[in-house]
Amino acid sequence: MIVRNSILAILANHPSHGYGLKSSFEQGTGGVWPLNVGQVYSTLSRLERDGLVQGEGEAKENRSWRITDRGRRELAEWYEAPVDDRSTRDELVIKVLIAVATGEVEMAPVLQTQRAATMKRLQEYTRHKVDADPEREMPWVLMLDALILRAEAEVRWLDLCQKRLDQVAGASA
Amino acid sequence: MTDVLASSTTPVPMPVLSLDEVSRTHGAGANTVRALGPVSLRVEPGELVAVMGPSGSGKSTLLLLAGALDRPSTGRVVIGGQDLARLSASNLASLRRRVIGFFFQDLNLLPGLTALENVALPLELDGQPLRAARAEAQEALEQVDMGHLAARFPDDLSGGEQQRVAIARAFVGPRTLLLADEPTGALDSLTGETVMRLLRKQCARGRSVVLVTHDAAHAAWADRVLYLRDGMVVDETRATGGEPS
Repeated sequence: MIVRNSILAILANHPSHGYGLKSSFEQGTGGVWPLNVGQVYSTLSRLERDGLVQGEGEAKENRSWRITDRGRRELAEWYEAPVDDRSTRDELVIKVLIAVATGEVEMAPVLQTQRAATMKRLQEYTRHKVDADPEREMPWVLMLDALILRAEAEVRWLDLCQKRLDQVAGASA
Repeated sequence: MTDVLASSTTPVPMPVLSLDEVSRTHGAGANTVRALGPVSLRVEPGELVAVMGPSGSGKSTLLLLAGALDRPSTGRVVIGGQDLARLSASNLASLRRRVIGFFFQDLNLLPGLTALENVALPLELDGQPLRAARAEAQEALEQVDMGHLAARFPDDLSGGEQQRVAIARAFVGPRTLLLADEPTGALDSLTGETVMRLLRKQCARGRSVVLVTHDAAHAAWADRVLYLRDGMVVDETRATGGEPS
């Protein structure tokens, strides 16, 4: 759905060929999500079948695509609806919960190892941000902000896990 | 062969701060409480080191020892090549004024003094003539892009601008080591980021910063992040990749 709706959004801005869509998507998302051009063509075929885009030209490399009125309505709905919270399926969260529930491992090293790895990731994102120019690379900077804030939240959550475990252990000691 | 000679004559840079197996305990006998250590830490010129850890993990104790505001129970603290245990009280006070800058969440800018006068104050207290102190203060303010607001009083500055004045005051003159305790605590993300950029800029000039913070996103600006738990360093992460600019 993300690629499909992003293609609609780009076409709402300007008609494009398949390869141009790939480039616009990659530039607009700070280069963190490389798209396969084959995936772009197959998505376009489905969008055309559903009447959301219209293609002109024969060979698929040369076809120029534009959004239809129905496509614009679909896009407007996407922008209007909030994105679902999927954080309960997070692998790290489940891993910690299962470890606590089963009591099979000592938690402090598990939390500390993850904390160090996340902290290192956070340092690397920050290094990139030091070099990034918000005026020329806005999508990249916004992507880094998102990654940094998520990593920061992860560190805070790990710290909180440790504190709660300490608290419970202290109370039962 | 020449390389070997060259490297053998290159002096090893002296750390700005070194804690050597330092510990701090309170109380005596059965009531002894260990606040910190033993920990060892070297901070090199130009390095930004962040210290994290839960409340009571020893972060503040480490900062007090690094700032010569407290003496260790065991171990050695060396600042700018001087072993603190060997310094007289007056030499210690002068080292604190000339080498170390403090930057705390509570900025303590004096409301009756302009930004320039606030920054010049530590130099004047150290006996520098007024004119020279103010010239250095003006330069320090310019380094944090506050030169044009030097004549303003703290109340007429925004929170972010006051932070900049406090950074200028902490680094004014010959000081080489800045100790910061939660300097970004009350700031929004962008203003906090600006403070971190300014600290990095000071490091690029060869000064060193030890930063205590709860905020992982700000700690991530450091070259190294130490994590304390129950008075011990349990983890140290180091940024990889390119040198910070």
